[in-house]
Amino acid sequence: MALTGRAGLLALAGALVVGLLLPSWPGVLAVTGVVLAGVGADLLLAGGVRRLEFGRSGDDAVRLGAEAEVALRVANPGGRPVRGVLRDAWVPSAGAVADRHRLHVPAGEARVVRTRLRPTRRGDRPAERVTVRSVGPLGLAARQGSHEVPWTVRALPPFHSRRHLPGMLDRLRELDGRRAALVRGRGTEFDSLREYVTGDDVRSIDWRATARAADVMVRTWRPERDRHIVLVLDTGRTAAGRVGDGTRLDAAMDAALLLAALAARAGDRVELLAYDRRVRASVQGAGQAELLPSLVSAMAPLEPELVELDARGLVREVLRRTRRRSLVVLLTGLDPAPLEEGLLPVLPSLTARHRLLIAAVADPAVAELARGRGDAESVYGAAAAERTLAERAHVTALLGRHGADVVDADPGALPPALADRYLTLKATGRL
Amino acid sequence: MTAADTSVSPDARRVWRAARAPVVIVLAVLLTGVVLVLARGGGDAALDPRSYGPGGTRALTRLLAEQGVRVEPVYSSADADPAGATVLVARPGLVEPDTLAALARRSAHLVLVAPDEAALEAVADAVTTAGDGQLGTEARPPDCALPAATGAGVAELGGTAYRGPVTCYGGGLARAGDVTVLAGGHPLTNGALAEEGNAALAMRLLGAHERLVWYLPSAGDPGLRDGDRSLYALLPRGWVFGAVQAGIAVALLALWRARRLGRVVTEPLPVVVRAAETVEGRARLYRRAAAADHAAQALREASLRRLRPLAGLGRDAAPETVVAAVAARTGRAPAEVGAVLYGPAWPGGPPPLTDDSQLVRLADALDALERESEVRQ
Repeated sequence: MALTGRAGLLALAGALVVGLLLPSWPGVLAVTGVVLAGVGADLLLAGGVRRLEFGRSGDDAVRLGAEAEVALRVANPGGRPVRGVLRDAWVPSAGAVADRHRLHVPAGEARVVRTRLRPTRRGDRPAERVTVRSVGPLGLAARQGSHEVPWTVRALPPFHSRRHLPGMLDRLRELDGRRAALVRGRGTEFDSLREYVTGDDVRSIDWRATARAADVMVRTWRPERDRHIVLVLDTGRTAAGRVGDGTRLDAAMDAALLLAALAARAGDRVELLAYDRRVRASVQGAGQAELLPSLVSAMAPLEPELVELDARGLVREVLRRTRRRSLVVLLTGLDPAPLEEGLLPVLPSLTARHRLLIAAVADPAVAELARGRGDAESVYGAAAAERTLAERAHVTALLGRHGADVVDADPGALPPALADRYLTLKATGRL
Repeated sequence: MTAADTSVSPDARRVWRAARAPVVIVLAVLLTGVVLVLARGGGDAALDPRSYGPGGTRALTRLLAEQGVRVEPVYSSADADPAGATVLVARPGLVEPDTLAALARRSAHLVLVAPDEAALEAVADAVTTAGDGQLGTEARPPDCALPAATGAGVAELGGTAYRGPVTCYGGGLARAGDVTVLAGGHPLTNGALAEEGNAALAMRLLGAHERLVWYLPSAGDPGLRDGDRSLYALLPRGWVFGAVQAGIAVALLALWRARRLGRVVTEPLPVVVRAAETVEGRARLYRRAAAADHAAQALREASLRRLRPLAGLGRDAAPETVVAAVAARTGRAPAEVGAVLYGPAWPGGPPPLTDDSQLVRLADALDALERESEVRQ
């Protein structure tokens, strides 16, 4: 049960009656008795909430930053109308815009209330209980009860970097020859023979074919297709660091999504592996159409774990998954200690079979710190930042010597930088 | 989207919107109370000379004033000046017996309305409460020789019956020396003054001297008995029970506000640490350890890392080569460039840095060198 403000106000009005007309204990008892009788009558006559029936429908996934709407159907099988308030509670990060609704369900009917959600955090955002407060006819008291009506809205990674996609696709088409003339050097896979037109590189003339045909023939090339790309997300402790607006993991996901979208369009096959000490998420063998949806869905519930990345286990897992030579893109921080102790010793077994590209999320705050001048505190900050940057440069060089490419960029710049590097690798036929 | 849409903290308008209903209601209740109290004639405090209500004594004091008696209503024993005056104590049961005794000693005539045993003992041991107790409020003849009573004739006195050296109205009035004890204040009140000989009795009793001190004990009076020195005992019953009912209302309102619409929803939050925290920690560590030279080394190496490619040199270039190249680009003396870039490691270079101001100057010098290297040529 629950009282309403009206019960208190009635008792307060009773204070006047007691004070001016009945200044005695019986007077207090009489007035309070009237209030309590009203409360009791309301509790008896209010529509029941225990037997209400609920059902949900609506959005079950939404891109982070967009708005979802979930409908809640309330059916009242009882004999009295249910009038009052309904609270459709969600976890705070589901960002329910307004979770309280006025409710009036006549006896034997059903109504639908809609709750709009604007999730503030990536991942699965479950609904909590539905609570109904059914007020009696006098408005003095209400019956109240809660129901479990499960529903989950999955907040997907926002994929901010998709604005870079058109530009990257333009460059890809250039490579592919769908836009500009095919020239030698823009690919390594033999595509076809065609007649020579003015402007073609004379070095690509195929003399043997020319001898057979009446015209001068040139060979055309195209970039490799059907290559394997394994995106590896490091969800260990270094991914938990906040860089700019989000965590390192958020930035890594953004970069991975752009690369995956581009690679899928280029005809390559993309796999995803999220790993710290065990496999956190995995996408394998998704076709081009369902690749992005399955990637964002697999990434959505990922959170950084406060454990050290098990590099040995990670390498073993990657090797187990792919027999073919692949481009392995490891998205991680570039902290010297874990990399030198964890990854470097096992790097040769990975680079022997695959091409390794390490995409590291740099921290713009460190670069900012390195520019500090003017007073002792800023200069010490600059010295510490320069030391950190030097260590990063050292690790980058070390990884390079072991045959791994490194892309090190700020969260905002990482997705295009990684996509650029991928296109360069593809253009030069080094996939 | 404006800032107002996303803000969740209440602004002035929302606070007002939430508070206005309770404020209006409380104001309405107070206003109704005030209006009703005023409509009922300025309060109904028993035997209060200011009160126009049936229990007040405004009429009697006006009558006395017209007869030339100066009526001084006092609400605290400290304000009372009893010398040579008639003193009426409206509720002697609340007053400390010693205070009453002092009043009795200094006044010309003391009138007590329904005193208890303790009060009687202090000022008039000759008067006692009668064994048969209560006296109904009805018209009685005086039945005694007291001039004030015989002159007034039939009067209505009721309450506790007393016995004294002089006893009138069947115990409704007792006299011992300069002390008169009344069984109740009924004949003095506005409501009963016009009945029978009430007015005459009251005038004769209280108008004998030129001044009448009307002592009505109130809250805060230093002469009050310990146990009764509370506001509660002196408040009119209407206020007390009105407050009790208001308390019940407040409890109900609290129950209304306290009841949540469903339980509090909790959720685990992810661990988020600023990634640059370790770098900042290292900076503070340098500073606390006063490792100016160590920090200088880091800054110099960073500058060298940027300068070498500018000068077209590799990572392993010898200091002399680097200094010569940079000196050539900037037009500075090699010794000066070497001292800035390599510090103590440069032959003839400066000693290791020892304080923070030197470090700040070095950072600026390195910046200048890099700037000049970029600009020249």
